[in-house]
Amino acid sequence: MESANSNRPVVELSGVSKVYPGPPPVVALDSVDLVVSRGELVAIVGPSGSGKSTLLHVMGGLDRPTSGDVAIDGVDLGALNDKGISGLRAHSIGFVFQDFFLMEGVDAVNNVAEGLVYRGLGRRERRTRAVAALESVGLGHRLDHTPAQLSGGERQRVAIARALIGDPAIVFADEPTGNLDSATSDEIAELFTRLNAGGSTIVAITHDLEFAQRFPRMVSLRDGRTVL
Amino acid sequence: MRSRLRPIDLFALSMRGLFARPFRAVLTSIGIGIGIAAIVAVIGISASGRAALLATLDDLGTNLLRVTPGAGIFGQAADVPEDAVAMVARIGPVEDVTGITIVDATVRRSDFVSKLDTGGLTVVSATPRLLEVIRGDVADGRFLEDGLKAVPVVVLGSTAAERLGIRSVVPAVRVLIGDEWFGVTGILESFPIHPDLDRTVFVSYESAATFLDGKPEPTAIYVRANPLSINDVAEVIPATVAPEAPDTVEITRPSDALVARKAADETLTSLLIGLGAVALLVAGVAIANIMVMSILERRMEIGVRRSLGATRRHIRLQFIVESMALAGFGGLAGVVLGAGITVGYAANRDVMVSIPMAGIAASVGAALALGALAGVYPAVRASRIDPAEAVRR
Repeated sequence: MESANSNRPVVELSGVSKVYPGPPPVVALDSVDLVVSRGELVAIVGPSGSGKSTLLHVMGGLDRPTSGDVAIDGVDLGALNDKGISGLRAHSIGFVFQDFFLMEGVDAVNNVAEGLVYRGLGRRERRTRAVAALESVGLGHRLDHTPAQLSGGERQRVAIARALIGDPAIVFADEPTGNLDSATSDEIAELFTRLNAGGSTIVAITHDLEFAQRFPRMVSLRDGRTVL
Repeated sequence: MRSRLRPIDLFALSMRGLFARPFRAVLTSIGIGIGIAAIVAVIGISASGRAALLATLDDLGTNLLRVTPGAGIFGQAADVPEDAVAMVARIGPVEDVTGITIVDATVRRSDFVSKLDTGGLTVVSATPRLLEVIRGDVADGRFLEDGLKAVPVVVLGSTAAERLGIRSVVPAVRVLIGDEWFGVTGILESFPIHPDLDRTVFVSYESAATFLDGKPEPTAIYVRANPLSINDVAEVIPATVAPEAPDTVEITRPSDALVARKAADETLTSLLIGLGAVALLVAGVAIANIMVMSILERRMEIGVRRSLGATRRHIRLQFIVESMALAGFGGLAGVVLGAGITVGYAANRDVMVSIPMAGIAASVGAALALGALAGVYPAVRASRIDPAEAVRR
């Protein structure tokens, strides 16, 4: 089953453009073609303003392209309404943000469990899976710590656990090391590699080349176009 | 693959949003609390007043009629036969009857007071039955008694006693009626439905005739009748007491005055409830305002929730429930406060506490509905926030 699925595309972008209406109109993405297959670990790099964030939002269904097609796990996002895309995000997509975006004053387990709240699962099951997700990112000993009691790297691990808890087809990470020092960035890169070895498909956008070079595949973006 | 948010989780989310800023939540719900408290207190006080009224009416009975031969067309009082009281007593459903007659004399504390100075007090001849028929009570001493009917003694109504400066029948006090000294044997409690009798002093028919030139014909007759036939009795009485001029006979039901006064109070009650409703409306606008502000601050949270799979509807519901909870808590606090005010009022006025549950349920319901309404606009705004924009740095 692993082998049968290993080459199945999880993310398919063809001719994706995003133009923010002007004046003057800004072309954030210009006919991007990109395929990410199951089991891949991909870094998308580029200078700021290159369209990385827009690309990530379009891939994750948070934003819609001006033209072109996006498919996630074989589902064409253009055919879905907002409700349908929300369902897809609840089940198939995980997000990790630069600023972690955890709930203050809420312990790690409940922050991670929140990742399943829109799947309609019971509280007990969410909690059990949150504990497992925290253990998988090496935070089994920090279950009842609130974000304020955790270091930056630990907070980002909590956020990664939240993205992974629903076992999504793809995890999108938006500058996951942007707020972390280089030693901690290395730890996050190692964690991604380990999670990827465990079967997770991860796409991270970053402007940190050193971080990106630890990924098996790197895609460069410049002025809204992929550069080979 | 659909997003699903269980109702219990929706509620928990909304509560978390509320308790994240408890001080603001308290401040915001104060308006609702005050509005609801005002409404509950007004309803409660009015209901307690109504309960007290019913108790008074129960106590005094609504089956009492006061019959007065009114002024005729030319101003002269109709002639009422001396035996009118006995004739009324013969009407079937009449249970009890007694008459009083106004005596043309003034009552004074001493002969240093001018005879012309009535002090607003009336001298009346009455029988010992009077107190029983109108269900009055003696505050001090005794009412008129058959054994003392030939002796110059007087019983004072409560206001009369006050105006004459007499608080007790011990030690013995006398008052001057006309030119005769009368010993005071009793002081009455005030009558809730006969304020005119409070300003009256009572002497027996016999002593009135002997000392004051009093007449035997009644100027007013009090009739207790079977409550079921009271209207029939009222119809028969005029022809009985004044066969020659039945139209001039006036029949009143003293308990009606109390009921009418209550009706006037109720108009005021509606007005106060209206004011409470305006307070609620203002509070609702305040909630909407705070919710809009709160949503602007929580764009990031909304963006994250959308990225976790929340639909627009989930976001809307979260904020509507939050707004309802805000108003609901305010409403509950208001009910407690309003009930407290009612209990305090009832204890102070020594009346029964009566807080209608339907009124409370309605006001909490109104608070929740208001919360929902106030939450709609902010919630719709929240649900329209672009998730990509909200999570962008």
